[in-house]
Amino acid sequence: MMLTSGSADYIGLANTPILWILASAVMGVVVVQSLIYMSAVRKNAESAGMSQQEVRAAFRAGGVAAIGPSLSVVLVAIALLPLFGTPPVVVRVGLIGSAATEVASASIAAGTMGANLGDETFTRGVFIVALMAMSLSGAGWMICTLVLTPIFKRSSHKLEKVNPALMSIIPGAALLAAFAALTFRELPKSPTHVVAVVASAITMTICLFLAQRLKLPWLKEWGLGISLLVGLVAAYFAHYAGLGVPEA
Amino acid sequence: MSSVITAPSHAAFERTTTKWGSITLFIGFLIATSVPFYLLFVADADIDVGTIITGFLAVFAVYGVFWIVEPLTYFPILGPAGMYQAFLIGNISNKLLPSAIVAQDTIGAKPGTRKGEYAATMAICGAAIIHVASMVLFVGILGTWLLTLIPEPITLVAKLYILPAILGGVTVQLIASLRQVKSTLIALGIAALIILVLIPLVPVLAPGDVAIVVLLTIAITWFTRKKSITDRRGDAGENVGIN
Repeated sequence: MMLTSGSADYIGLANTPILWILASAVMGVVVVQSLIYMSAVRKNAESAGMSQQEVRAAFRAGGVAAIGPSLSVVLVAIALLPLFGTPPVVVRVGLIGSAATEVASASIAAGTMGANLGDETFTRGVFIVALMAMSLSGAGWMICTLVLTPIFKRSSHKLEKVNPALMSIIPGAALLAAFAALTFRELPKSPTHVVAVVASAITMTICLFLAQRLKLPWLKEWGLGISLLVGLVAAYFAHYAGLGVPEA
Repeated sequence: MSSVITAPSHAAFERTTTKWGSITLFIGFLIATSVPFYLLFVADADIDVGTIITGFLAVFAVYGVFWIVEPLTYFPILGPAGMYQAFLIGNISNKLLPSAIVAQDTIGAKPGTRKGEYAATMAICGAAIIHVASMVLFVGILGTWLLTLIPEPITLVAKLYILPAILGGVTVQLIASLRQVKSTLIALGIAALIILVLIPLVPVLAPGDVAIVVLLTIAITWFTRKKSITDRRGDAGENVGIN
C-alpha cells in the first residue's frame, strides 16, 4: 500500500505556511463563488416562479445530500496525507479533480521517472514533478471549461431558437444517460462493485418508498447518505469475503 | 437590455453567474496552479523542464480527452452557470450532480426548466459549503490526527467502492424524480449496450464512453418524441415530464 513510507523528506516542504495560505485561499474562492451564486438565485428566483422557501429548501437538500459523499471523500483524502502533505491534498482534492484522478495522475507522472507512489523512490523531485503534472492536468480542465462554456452557450441558444422543445428534452435525457453510463461502468470492475451498486440502489428504493408512503420528506434528502453507507458496509463485507478487486 | 438589470430576470441571473463564475474559476485556476510552481522554486530539487514535460504528457495522454469530453457531457445537464461551479469544485458525478438531483426531487422541479436550474444551482452551493467545511475541518485541521485513528481496511473500502455506493442510489433517485419511463429505458438500454458490449470490443472508445451514451440517448429520445405534445408549446416549462 501507499501508506508504508511514513513521512518522507519532502513532507516538511509540502506543509510550509505559504502553501497553507494558498490552500485556504482556494477554499475561500469556492465559498465566495457560492455566496455570489446564492444571491443571484435569491434575487431572480421569482422570475422562474420559485419561492424563497423553495430556494432555501433546495440549498438545504443539496447540503444534506452532500454530507455522505463529502465524508467519504474526506476519508480518502486523509489516506493521501502522508503521501502529499496537507495543503497539496486540500488543493488537489478540494478543487477540480477527485481523489481517484489525482492518485492515478501522480502515479502515472512518477512512473515516467521510474518511481512508485509511497516507496523510497518517491523523492522530493518526483513529488514536485507529480504535483506539477496533476496541477497542469487540472488546469487544462478549468481552461477548457472557461473557453468551451461560452461556445456551448451560444450554440444551445441557437438550438433553442430552432426548436424550443430541444432544451426541454435534452437535460433530462442527458442526466439519465450520464448516470446510467457511470453506474454500468462500475459493474464489470468486480463482484464487490456490483454488490455496492445493488445495495445502494435497493436502499434508495426503500427510502423513497417510505418517504412517499409515510410522508417523510427528510428521507428524500437523507436517502443518499443512507444508501451510500449501506452500499459501503455491504462492499466492506463483500470485499473481505474475497469478492474484491484482485490487487487492491 | 439595460432596463432589466434590477428586476428579477433570468438574463440578470445569467449575467451575474457568467461574469463571477468565470472570474472565480480563473482565480481558482491561478492559485491551484501556483502551488507546484512555488515548490519548484523553493525546493532545490534539481528538476529540469524536460522531466516535467514528460510527466505532464504521460498524464495528458490519459486525461487530455476528458478536458473536452467532460465539459461537453455535463453542459446539457449543468447549464452555463453550473459549469463554472462544477469545474471549480470537481467531484461532479459523486457529489454535485447527486446534490442537484436530490434538491430537484425535494422541491419537485424538473431538469431543463428554469426552476430546475435554480434548484440545482442552490443545491450545488449547499454541497460546496459542506464540501469546504469538511475539507477544512476533517482534512486540513484534524486530518493528520484522524489518520492515526481510522483503521486502514475501512479507508481502503471507502477508496475502492465510494463511487458505486453513491451511483446506485443516485440513479434510482434520478429515475424516481424524473418519471420519464421512455427516456429511462432508452438510457439504461444504451448504457448497457455501450458499456458492457461495445467498449470491451473497441477499448479505444473507453474515454468517451459516457459521452457516447449521452449523445445516443439524447438523439434517440429526440427522434422518438411525440411531436404533437412537445413541439407546440412556447413555454418550455412543464412539458419535460412527457417523454
